[in-house]
Amino acid sequence: MKRLLMAVALALFVASPALAHFQMIYTPEIAMSEGKELDLKLVFTHPFEAGHTMDMAPVKEFYVVSQRGEEGKPQKTDLMSYLKKITWTSLTNSGAAYEAKLPKKVVRSMGDYVFVLVPGPYLEKEEGIYIQQITKVVANVGGMPGNWAEPVGLPTEIVPLDKPYANWTGGVFRGVVLSNGKPVPNADLEVEFMNHPPEAGKNSFQKEGITEAPHDSFVTMGIKTNANGEFTVGIPHAGWWGICALGSGPDKEANGKELSQDAVIWFKAVDMKK
Amino acid sequence: MKRTMMMLGFACALLFAATAAFAHTPVCSCFDNGDGTVTCEGGFSDGSSASGVRMMVKDGSGKVLIEGKMSGNSDFEFKKPAGDYMVVFDAGEGHVIEIKGADIVQ
Repeated sequence: MKRLLMAVALALFVASPALAHFQMIYTPEIAMSEGKELDLKLVFTHPFEAGHTMDMAPVKEFYVVSQRGEEGKPQKTDLMSYLKKITWTSLTNSGAAYEAKLPKKVVRSMGDYVFVLVPGPYLEKEEGIYIQQITKVVANVGGMPGNWAEPVGLPTEIVPLDKPYANWTGGVFRGVVLSNGKPVPNADLEVEFMNHPPEAGKNSFQKEGITEAPHDSFVTMGIKTNANGEFTVGIPHAGWWGICALGSGPDKEANGKELSQDAVIWFKAVDMKK
Repeated sequence: MKRTMMMLGFACALLFAATAAFAHTPVCSCFDNGDGTVTCEGGFSDGSSASGVRMMVKDGSGKVLIEGKMSGNSDFEFKKPAGDYMVVFDAGEGHVIEIKGADIVQ
């Protein structure tokens, strides 16, 4: 709540755009025909404007839970050893980020791959609070589904009701916000379009934006979950969309300061074309 | 009239059969284990298992070299043949996948 108020106050007094923090796990393609090497970028930024990129706190956990078939057994693979520090360049600054180049043996079998990142709490000095965004990205190999709709069992997470790797532009994406495994009704969600996707092979965002927001409220869109903790967002454009549940997690304090423990999920949409 | 009804019934049966076929698409993927063996994994697009599905490995002339079934874990491992080969995942009519050996890499 404090974060929302601060954002409102900032918007009112400074008239600067309301920026939403989003932890990214980025790789260009998440719907893969066959297993391959993956290059993942972990960046804590403001994705619509490709603006101020924060120095990520050290990563607490980074792993993938994969499963082939609905009857298959989920398999957890720790990915911490693949993490490497990088410097990410936004349109306005640069910040400490991570990359993980995964060998093909990690993403070789058919099935779903639920990547999970639990970063350490980040101190947002301007707001005087900590932010910890527990982030998920779901990829698939070969069209064989697995555990995409299963909760991982995180303190807070967004569980998809639509496959995050199989969305047409113009469709909808639905999900449920969980805290300690229970749905969170009336949760505040922020939705942002990755308007400046990363440049291929570089640790930076592309300068050219895909679209322009007519108003600040389009940069970070605000929606709420219903009484069952569910949400639906429309998909007006191909590309990457991030959804963040603000302060949905059970932990409310870090190092004696207020903590916003958020749940983030990304999904990708593609155009219908030949 | 009776004949028309029968035709209709037949058309309906065809329709249902077609729907079922589209509802779950077979999927199969193979990779070279790098130790002289190849592993194929199978399943259906609705997440269901391919356990028991007939698997064949044929040589360049179409002769069956190896025949077996998908395991309980929906996979099938075989010794990589010396020359050209093809893997056939045969889950029945309309559910057959053929993968060329040349496309199976590590």
